[in-house]
Formats: sequence, C-alpha cells, structure tokens
Amino acid sequence: MTQLIQTLVLGLLLGGVYALLASGLTLIFGVMDVINVAQGALIILAAFITWALWNETGLDPLLGVFVTTPAMFLVGLGIYLTTVRWIQGKPPSTSVILTFGLALVIEGVMGMVWTATLHRATPEYFNQSFTIGDIYLRKAQVYGCAIAIGVLAILYVILRVTWLGRAIRAVSANMSSARLVGVDPTTVAALTFAIGVATTGAGGSIAAVLYPFLPGSHYAWISRILGIIVLGGMGSLPGAVVGALLLGVAETMTATYISPQWATMVPWAVIMLVLLLRPQGLMGHKLREDVAL
Amino acid sequence: MTAAAGFLGRNAGRIAVAALLVTILIFPVISDNRYYQTIIILSLLLAIMASGWNIISGFAGYVSLGQTVFLGIGAYTTAILSLRVFGPDEFGQGGANPFYFIPISAIVAGLFAALVGPIIMRTRGHSFVILTIAFLFVMQLIVLNWGELTYGNRGLSLPLPDWPREWGNLPFYYIFFGILLISVAMSTWIRRTKFGMGLIAIREDEDKAASVGVNTPIYKVLAYIASAVWIGAAGGVYAYYLSFIDPRNMFDIVYSVFVVLAVLLGGRGTIWGPVLGAFILEPLNQVTNNDFDKWFGEGIWDANVRLIFFGAMLMLVVLLLPRGIIPSVREIVTRRRESKTAAEVGARFERKPLTVVERGALEAKAAAPGPLLEVRGVEKRFGGVQAVDGVTLAVERGSITALIGPNGSGKTTLFNLIDGTMPPDKGEIWFEGGRVDKLPPYRRAHLGIGRTFQITRLFKQMTVLENVVAPLSSFSYRHLAADAVSGNEAERAHELLEFVGMHKFAGHRAGALSYGQGKLVELAQILMLDPTLIMLDEPAGGINPTLIAHMEEMIRELNRQGTTFLIVEHNMPLVLGLCNPVCVLARGQTICTGAPDHVQADPAVLDAYLGEDFVLERKAEVSS
Amino acid sequence: MRRIVWLLALLPVLLALVFAAGCGGDDDDEGDAADTEATDTSGGGGGGEPSGEPIVIGASLPLTGDFAEPGEAARRGYEVWMEMVNEAGGLLGRPVEMIIKDDQSDQNLVVTDYNALIEQDGVDLLLGTFSSLLNIPASAVAERAQMVYVEPAGGSPDMFNRGFEYLFFAQQATAPHQADLFSEWVLSLPEGERPTTAAYVAADDPFGAPVAAGIQEQLEAGGVETVYSEIYPPETVNFDAIASAMAAEQPDVIAQGSAGLQDGVNLITALVAAGYSPQQMFQASTPSFADQYSDAIGVENTEGIFYAVSYHVESPTPGNAEFLEAYRAKFDEDPAEDAADAFAAAEVLQAAVEAVGSIDDQAALKDWLHANSVDTILGTLSWDETGAPEQAFLLAQWQNGDEEIVLPEDAATSDTIVNPKPPWSGR
Repeated sequence: MTQLIQTLVLGLLLGGVYALLASGLTLIFGVMDVINVAQGALIILAAFITWALWNETGLDPLLGVFVTTPAMFLVGLGIYLTTVRWIQGKPPSTSVILTFGLALVIEGVMGMVWTATLHRATPEYFNQSFTIGDIYLRKAQVYGCAIAIGVLAILYVILRVTWLGRAIRAVSANMSSARLVGVDPTTVAALTFAIGVATTGAGGSIAAVLYPFLPGSHYAWISRILGIIVLGGMGSLPGAVVGALLLGVAETMTATYISPQWATMVPWAVIMLVLLLRPQGLMGHKLREDVAL
Repeated sequence: MTAAAGFLGRNAGRIAVAALLVTILIFPVISDNRYYQTIIILSLLLAIMASGWNIISGFAGYVSLGQTVFLGIGAYTTAILSLRVFGPDEFGQGGANPFYFIPISAIVAGLFAALVGPIIMRTRGHSFVILTIAFLFVMQLIVLNWGELTYGNRGLSLPLPDWPREWGNLPFYYIFFGILLISVAMSTWIRRTKFGMGLIAIREDEDKAASVGVNTPIYKVLAYIASAVWIGAAGGVYAYYLSFIDPRNMFDIVYSVFVVLAVLLGGRGTIWGPVLGAFILEPLNQVTNNDFDKWFGEGIWDANVRLIFFGAMLMLVVLLLPRGIIPSVREIVTRRRESKTAAEVGARFERKPLTVVERGALEAKAAAPGPLLEVRGVEKRFGGVQAVDGVTLAVERGSITALIGPNGSGKTTLFNLIDGTMPPDKGEIWFEGGRVDKLPPYRRAHLGIGRTFQITRLFKQMTVLENVVAPLSSFSYRHLAADAVSGNEAERAHELLEFVGMHKFAGHRAGALSYGQGKLVELAQILMLDPTLIMLDEPAGGINPTLIAHMEEMIRELNRQGTTFLIVEHNMPLVLGLCNPVCVLARGQTICTGAPDHVQADPAVLDAYLGEDFVLERKAEVSS
Repeated sequence: MRRIVWLLALLPVLLALVFAAGCGGDDDDEGDAADTEATDTSGGGGGGEPSGEPIVIGASLPLTGDFAEPGEAARRGYEVWMEMVNEAGGLLGRPVEMIIKDDQSDQNLVVTDYNALIEQDGVDLLLGTFSSLLNIPASAVAERAQMVYVEPAGGSPDMFNRGFEYLFFAQQATAPHQADLFSEWVLSLPEGERPTTAAYVAADDPFGAPVAAGIQEQLEAGGVETVYSEIYPPETVNFDAIASAMAAEQPDVIAQGSAGLQDGVNLITALVAAGYSPQQMFQASTPSFADQYSDAIGVENTEGIFYAVSYHVESPTPGNAEFLEAYRAKFDEDPAEDAADAFAAAEVLQAAVEAVGSIDDQAALKDWLHANSVDTILGTLSWDETGAPEQAFLLAQWQNGDEEIVLPEDAATSDTIVNPKPPWSGR
C-alpha cells in the first residue's frame, strides 16, 4: 500500500512538470495548427541555459526561470519570424518536417556549445527529500511542481483575462472572423508561438534540476509531450494538464509494477491508442481529420 | 546537327538516367576503389528507401515519417530467420545464408503494411504523420524489449559472407542495384496505371476521388504495401551487409527524415526524383563525414556539424525548394515551351452532340419500382448547429429535380450525405431500391450517383483528359493494373470533352483552367461514370450567361437520354424554366415540394426564401 | 533499334564520367598520404630514430556523441603509446602513424569508418574502438578483412560467441566475470554478516546486463535470494520508480550493471532521495569515473561503494611507471582507466608484431596472440580461442573519498574493506 501511494505521488509530481512542458505545444497547435517538433529541443536548450547560469554564477536553477522564460520568448519570436511564419497554412507534414529540421539544428548547436555529454544542475537540495510517514517527496520535485503550477496559472490568466488571450482564443476558433473583428492573425500567431516557446523556458529550468540531459534528450521529451497533448486533446490547455498527470502516473506505475523497460513505450502507446480510438482526446476538439467512412 | 541537338534536348532526362545507371553498373569493373563502392552501396539503399516512400507519400500524398520501420522489419526478419530459426544458435557462427531470406523479408514487410495500413490510414493530416512516427517507435521498443527473440539492445550479429574475399562487397552492390531497379520499375508501372492515377487523385483531393468512384481505402493500403516491400527486401540485404543490427539503428527516426529529405530534394511524386535526391544526399553525407577533416583540419566535421548541416538543409528545402529539383527544372522547361501555345487557352467552345452510349443495364434498372433516390428523415449536426433536420425527399426517375433554399439551409450538406462524403446522424437514403447510407462514397459512385461541387474540385496537377478518365464506374483488382489512359476510355473521354466543348483543352493542366471551364470539365468527368443520377451543386453559379445557356442545353440533352438530375441552384429563372419538381429547404427541413408554379405561390416559401432575398438576388443578377 | 543507337551515342559520355570519377579517386589517395602527417609524430630523444616507410595504424573512436568521454580518453592512450614507441625507435624500426576517425558513437558510422580505414586509407594494422556496442559491428569488418583487431573496451559475451579468430579483448575478463572477486568476497563473509537478499538492476546494454546477470548467477548459487531484478533502457534518467521499488524489498545487496556515468549516478541519487542504503553496493563501472562520480553524488556518499576496474595508477605492473610519466608529461593529469586500457591494447598489438617480426601476415599475428601471453600495464593477459581474456578484474572500493584496490591482496592499495556500507548522508 505504501508503495502504491509512493508511486502515485511520484507520478503526480512528475505530471505537474509535464503539464507545463506540454502547455506550449498544445497552445501553438491550437492557434496555428502547427506541431512544433522542435519543442523538445527548446526544452533542452532552456535546460542548458539554466545549467550554464548555475554553473557560472551559482544562480539557483529554479530561479533561472526568470531568465530563461524571457530568453525563450525571444527565441520563439525569432523562430517564428524566420521560419514558421512562411509555412503556415501549408499541409501538416510541411510544418512537422520543418520543425524537425529545426530540432536537429538546435541539437547540433547545443552539442557544439556544451558538448554532447550529460549535464545536470545540482543545487544542494537536489537529492534531499521531505518525508511524510513512509512516503518521501523529493524537494526538487516539490519545488519544481509548485513552480510549474504557478506558471500554468499565469498562462491560464493570460489566456482568460487579457486582450491577447481573447485574441488568441478568437483566432484559434475561427481565423477569418477574427480578422473581421480587427485581430491580426499574424501578430497573434507570432505572440502565441513566442509564448508557447517561453513555457519551455520555465519547464526547461525545472527539468534541468530533475533529470540529467544531453542534446539528444529532446526525442524523449517530444514523444512525452506529444503523447500528453494527444491524450488530453490537442489544443486544449486543461486537457494538457489532465493528460500530463495521467501520463506521469502511467509512467511510474509501469516502471514500478511492470518493468522500467516498458515505461518508455507508454507515451507512444498512448498516442497510437488515442488517435485511433478517441481522436479528440479527453478534452479537445477532434484532431483527426477522418477519411469518409 | 540541329536534329541531334533537338534529340538530346528532348531526351536529356532519359540520357541522364541511362548514364547514371550504366555508370553504377560498370563502376566496380573499372575502379576497385572500395570506398566509392561503399558510398554507392549506401546511396543505393537510400534510393530504394526514397523510391518506396515516394509511392505512399509522393503519389498518394500520405506523408510518413516512419518509413525506416520497414527497413528494420526486413533486417530483423532476415537476421532472425538466419540466426534463430535456421541457424545453429550455440555459437552464432555459420547461420543460414541470409540471402535466402530476403524474399521473406519483403513479404513480412508487406504483411506489416497490410495489417497496419488499414488502421492508420483511416486518419490523415497531423494524425497520420504522428501515427507513422509512433508506429516506428513502438516497433523499435518491441524489438528492443523482446530479448528472447531479438537479443534486444545487444543486437544480432549475422554470419560473415562466405564468398571469396576478393569479391568484397560486390554481391551486396549488385543486389541493392537490382532491388532499386525493380523498385523504380514498379513505380514507373504504377504511375502509368489506373492505380497510380487513383493515387494521384487521392493526393490531390481524396474526398473528390472517392466521389468519382475511386476505392480509396484499397488504393491507399496497396500503395502502403508497395512502398514497404522493397524496403523490406533492402533491409534484409542491409542486415547482412552490416553484419550487425540493433534496434536503435534499424528503427531510426533520423534516417526516416533523411529519406524524406532525399525525396523532397529530388522531387516528390516523380519517378527519378527520389533516386536523384539519394545520390546527392548520401555521397554528401559520406564525403562530409570522411573527407572534411582532411581538407579543413581535424575536428571540423563532427556529429554536431552534421546535425546542423542536415537540419538546416531540411529547413531550406522545405522553405525554398518545396517541389524539388526535377519538378522545378521541368517547370522551367515547359514554361519555355508553353509560351508558344498559351494563346489556345482563350479558344472558343465548340460543342458536339453526345452519341448515346449503349446502356444495356438501363432497361433492367428501369424495372426497379419507386423513385430513383429517396431520402428519409435524414439528420446531420455539426457541433451545436443542426444543418440537416429530418429531410425527406424523393427524386423520380427521369426528372430534373431542383433543390433550393436560402444560404445555410443545408443543401450542400444534404448533397454530402447523399454522395457519402459525410455520414448522416440519423435517417436513411435509398437509391435504385437499395439502401446506400452505410456505403462508402465510391460504392455509391459505382451504383450510379455522380456529383459536382459548388466550387469545382478537379485534380489540379492532372491534365484535363486525365481528369476525365480518372473516374471509375466499378472496382476490380484487375482494373488497377490497366493503363491509366487506355484506348476505349480515351476515346470516350474525348467524346465527352467534345460534348461539353472542352476537347481543345484535353492536354492542359486542370489547375490552369478558368472557373467556368472547370465546371464543364467536372461535368464531363462525372459523365465518365455513366451515372443514373447527376447531382449538380450550383452549375450556373459564377459563370457567364452564354455558358449558362450551354449548361442548360446539356442538362436537357442528357436528361432526354435518360439521366436523372438533382440540382442545387440560386439562379431562379434557370430553376423555374428547367426543373420540375422543385423542392425547397429551409433551416434543414423540406418546407415545400412541387411544380415550379406551385412552389412560387407557396406562402411559406415566399416567407422563408423567395421574399426579400429573391428580389435582391434578381437585382444583383441584372446589374452584373 | 533506336535505343541501341542512343546507347552507343552515350558511351563516350559515360566513359568520360567514369574517367572523371577514377581521377577523383587518385587525387584523394594522394591527399591521404599528405594529411596523415597531421598526426603528431615529433618527440625525439630516446632510442634510435625510426626510419623507412611508416607503419599506419587505423582506429575509430567515439570522440563525440554518447561515449565521447571514454572515447577521448582512449585516444589519449593510443597517442601516448604512439609517441613512446616512436621515441624508442619505432615498431620494427619503422615510424608509427595513427589515423583515428570519429564514429560519433554511431554503429553505422563505425562500420563505414573501419571500411574506409581498410579500403581507402589502406592501413597496415587496426586497433579497436570503445564499448561493446561499437566493437561488435567494427570487429566484424576486421574479421571479414582478416585483420587482427585488438579492442580496449568491449567485454560483452556477444563479442566472443561469434567464433571470430582475429578479435582480442585487452582487459582481464569479459563482462559476466567483471565482478567475480566481489561475489567471492560476499560469499566468503561469515554467517550472520553474509547478506541473504539482493537486488539487481542493469542497463539494457551489451555490457551492463551481463555484468548484473553474472553477479546474480554467482550469488544465487551461493544462496543469496534475489528480491528484485530489472533491466532499464540505457537512456533512462528517472530512477525514482526503480529506487522506490527496490527500497520496498529491503535488499542487503544492490548490484547495478550500469552503462556509463549517468545511470549509475542517477540510481544513487534516487536511492539517497528514497532514503534506502544497502549493506553492500556494487556498480559495474560508474564509480571508476573518479572525481566526476564523487562530485555528482557527493563525496560523503561514495564511502563503501564497490566496483571492478582493469587499472589503477599505483599498480606495480610492467611498464606502468613509464606510461604514467609519459602521460602526465603530455596531459598534466593522471590517466583515466579507459586511457590505460587503450594503451594496453596497443601494447598487445605491438608485442605480436615484434614477436612475429613482420606486419605482412595478419594470420601469423593472430596465431601468435592465441598461443602466447603479453605483459601490459594491466598485468599479464592471455586469450582463449574466442579472443576472450582469461584473467580477473581488480575489486575496488571508495574509501574516505579515494579509490582503493581492495582485492586481490597482492594488488591491494588498502588493507581494509569498508563493510557494511555506512548510510547515505545526503538527507
């Protein structure tokens, strides 16, 4: 019983961080109909920036969030203006291939700057734990999860309350009518993409403490967050949160009760099953464009 | 002299291909440089991959990012058969000769495609791309974790080749070359058949393809199988060539993307583009890898530079050269030639009457009692909008029935439900005395329902003639292998084009036609189905009065020959003069059906539709 | 008929193309000869000046990618050996040159690399790459070309079950025997102190899995009950689930067959967080990463952790003093284990060449190695008919922040063994 609760707690803490990491991907998809395959590489990039700051200045990696988030916002803006902008409205495969190329470039650049070896930010609390009875909670995970929830809450408020949020929702609902009411879809798309990438800043900083990473780690992350947003419903932010918690628990449960070997399979299996059986995911609109009958 | 130059110019493509092939064929005889042999071997492999990928993604337009899955399946099939099934297991050495199992690798890869294809090809767009990636990773993880059979991450070591050492890798070289030739020959053949034409139609507009009778599910799955088998065979050879395989390298996503890059570079949907792309990309990969250090100093070219180089290349090709080398070059050449014939586009229509086709079945069909088409209580809802709300409607045999109603009243949706583009939520549709609402669209086309679209949907990359021969009035596997444009059909197609007055445009690309011309070609296209019922969605919308008159004339002529019509139209004079009965839809329901006079007098109709709008529309028509 | 005509018309074009390709090849070969000089062969001093045509030795190493760190260490080992040989008058009196390619830790590239070394660069001798994963395909290339292949790191049993004749592994033992001394010591503990339960976890890797399986087999035979045994994918970063599942079983011994530095570190980190410390802890190779290891898990947490090594800087083995001196002079630090292994591999090749007296007959070289033993800085090595070595690894333990050899006694640098392992201090 203790082990079951322990596994659940580990999974939920993991899921909280996953939710933040997946939020940008789902936001970008919802507004622009673009699957940003480079999102995983951008997470790792943010993690490297965090690590470098921590390594050079001793800045606490979790406080690195305040540096990486604006930095990644600018990176996102730059990527949008130079590349993604030109392929909007093209067939879906185009954006997938383009952003895949981008992911490879980012991976190569990180390898050049920081070498293709494992890195991890290790502030002194990184392997300390809180204990409640027989259950232990890793401090880094608790802090990380708390920050993730905070950032997600801010994102939610931005989307709900501000003009930008309304514009984003208008564009994602219907681009042509949004234009009619005076929203410029290009500006909205640029800001969305930049915000979507900015979430990887916060997420990457947290990930830098939780797990060691190397440039090639982005494949593991993109599969995971893709699994999350497919499960939650592509384009839905609440869906991403629910999907992330479920996937986090599913991963730790598989690793504990089946075998760590099969835990990597979980995201891909989720993607296949959800797309084939319930294409709209748990809370999203229907992604799957079906062939008639 | 000029004749020779002309000959060379006309056949430049073929000459280049022949030169490449002969060079590959005789290269090992002339040079024994094994480094270059290795580069050619790896290029051949990439070309086989690219050529296979091109069938599903280039012809049929279904972009797969997981095509290496078939390389892995082929490699593991050969390795497992050679080592685990037929090989002595104790010391691995002397497993059965892997070459025996290469045909089996091809078959197993084809079987996987046949099993997985029908499932994942129900989706398209983003979902399909993601699913192909997921399929690749799931297979990788299965092979990785099924250690009893595959030795997992430890990989499998195949026996070393047993031929004389002096032969080196030549057997691999020529077998890869042979597989590539077979694969390209198959692509060429597919491109020439009905099957290939159907795939192009699916790429251009899948729903349209289904509505003109193309059995899209079978076509797609067959294409997926065709794209897998030779890759599977190559996987078997590759395993033997490497003599060691492991899950990570055999099911590699980056190699999948490399294949995509090769095809995009060379030219998607062309026969030789994938081969050209492969023979540019793989030598580039090897040379940068092995020779850059020598030329520019050690450590210049490492894994990171390689990632950046090929990642950037992928992005640049997508952004700047999306169509690839061969189509771009071809376009420049044709543009130069076409400038001479461009004047023809402005040519006038010349219509010829249509010879009545012998339709033996017509009499038999006429025997079926009751109306030709019956719609019973059909409903369709989109989110919160009830687009069609219990429509009941009958189209009598031999009639020209009109379907009118204000915008948003559900006319086009009803068309989509009748031809099968969308399934109804509720209700039944009967045609020729049989229930059809559960049938896929191509089956309904085979039964004799032909339909045009409000905004013309032609296969833009095909010629006008190809567009007209593309429809299929039945399905049989034998038919797939028939020539795309064969004698009888071509004759019939020319006749139909003459009937609609478009025969002068037979060789033009459909994408270059004007709106009105497109409508005429689309009519000729569905006539190819020999339909009993033709549904026209605004045949007179947006075209000039002369053309409207032509259209009316043609409808009458076809109707005289026994074709029934169901027409959605806003042009009231045309409707009232041509159609009887007229059926009025409003808010997703039929509110009135009857003769034109009767409908015009119905107060409910006037209120819902003919009222102010009617007046406004007439004004607009007069002024334009 | 028309086709034949245009085929004929085409022939000149073809010949021109092929000729051009041929010329390109020649140019390249000349290029090779020139640029092999890029490798540093200066040094001077020592014995007689080597003279004549240089002997070219080819190797590929993972200088970038996942195995970049050990790959770089191995390159240093090879380079130090080359300089020492050239200073001492060369190999058979001829200067030695090395061509070292980078396979980027990629199995496909390692195959192309060795093919290119043999066929394009025409090297005289080969040396191996790093890790079983890369050596398995690379050794097949060498075997096919019938060239002796001495590899410094790759002890997976899968290397030696293929009946290869030209393959030799230049360490003391293969992976299943990596921890022989550890198992013997555990089972030799007196009743009461001897552990009764053990947990095993290993990377799904040609090296890690057999190490853990080897210990499990030996301890089970000695009556130690297995309470947990799992394989994880080598790229696993999150060990929380594994640590909590192991902790729930309360095993006396935890043994890990780790693939590299990080999975070993991550398991310790997760165990510290979970607050479970076993009586005895063994890790296959992670603790040999010296400072990197102790920095990563905290030096206070290293106390008492066992591992197996092939080399220790203080070993009194033949040639070690000279090696250390040359290495320290060149790199200004102590050699990593992987550098010493690479050096030893080159020593093995050197011994065979000198004994046979020629490099022309590769078959004679392998026959000599199968029949004789070679003194290296790792001690004396000899091989069975599969090329697997027949000696035993050293058992090492972290004590007071230092790496000490504890067994066998004649090689030991510390006369105590910390037992049981003290609890973690990170919490």
